[in-house]
Amino acid sequence: MTDTNRKIQELLIDYAGALRDGCLPVFLKSLSRQEGQMIASSEEFWDAAEMVRTLNGVGFADKAVTADVGLFMSRVDANIASRLKKAKTSPRGKRTTSTKSTNKTQRTEKTT
Amino acid sequence: MNRRLRNALKGLTAPDAERRRRAMEPFVRATFDSFIRYLYRYLGNEVECEDVLEDVYADIWENPERLRNVTSERELLKTVYLYYMRKRLREVYRRINRNLHLSQQDMKNLIAPELGILEAVSQSELQDILHRVLGRLKARERRAIELWMEGMSSRAIANELKTTVGAVKMLKFRAILKLKKMMNEYCHEI
Repeated sequence: MTDTNRKIQELLIDYAGALRDGCLPVFLKSLSRQEGQMIASSEEFWDAAEMVRTLNGVGFADKAVTADVGLFMSRVDANIASRLKKAKTSPRGKRTTSTKSTNKTQRTEKTT
Repeated sequence: MNRRLRNALKGLTAPDAERRRRAMEPFVRATFDSFIRYLYRYLGNEVECEDVLEDVYADIWENPERLRNVTSERELLKTVYLYYMRKRLREVYRRINRNLHLSQQDMKNLIAPELGILEAVSQSELQDILHRVLGRLKARERRAIELWMEGMSSRAIANELKTTVGAVKMLKFRAILKLKKMMNEYCHEI
């Protein structure tokens, strides 16, 4: 992907390859300004990109299906627990911040 | 929609947070497969898919309102994509966006697009349609797509088809456009 004057079909094939190999950021970073503009104005690219995503889903999505959903479930539960904890502690956090700012204001007033 | 999923959805939309948390397990078990396959279309990376999906489920737990009137699995997938997955998908690459030569809108369209005709069709239907339309391509085009789907690079495909890398890229591009056109026609018939 080092070539900076890629034609639209090359860009599409590189996008498809990046999606298949799970390295989309590499493709995105490889785009030059001209290539970005070419993608933006090419209807064929967007049509083909939708098809590429479909092929990716049909051909390779099995790789993402893990056998142990229980393990994944525990991650989700931990995420929920952390959000619950954050929701409980956030009002106190706000109070602390406001106290700090009051102190700061008072200090400023004293110095003036 | 099966009874297990329907019950899980009922629990998910309860006002009590703890009840919603308990309902998450059956919901995750019933939907994990279809959700992660769907996400894989856009990310192509199983680790990132799991990270995004974890946040998607937590978002659903936090704000399940959108799922209140869902009546079928297809509608569920569509709603989850539009209201929960898309936001998270866009966040995945937001951090690198400032260094890119793509506009914010093009980036959004590439990473988390609006639902196209193909994206609204279920996985099993897609497999079926794809199988049929692949058979309608020219032998050389079909072979190029099949080899690509086996994981081969353009250079390896060029060696296999005894042609140049540039010709293979053009062949695949044309074949993909043909596939898209034919699949659109099939989807309109469904």
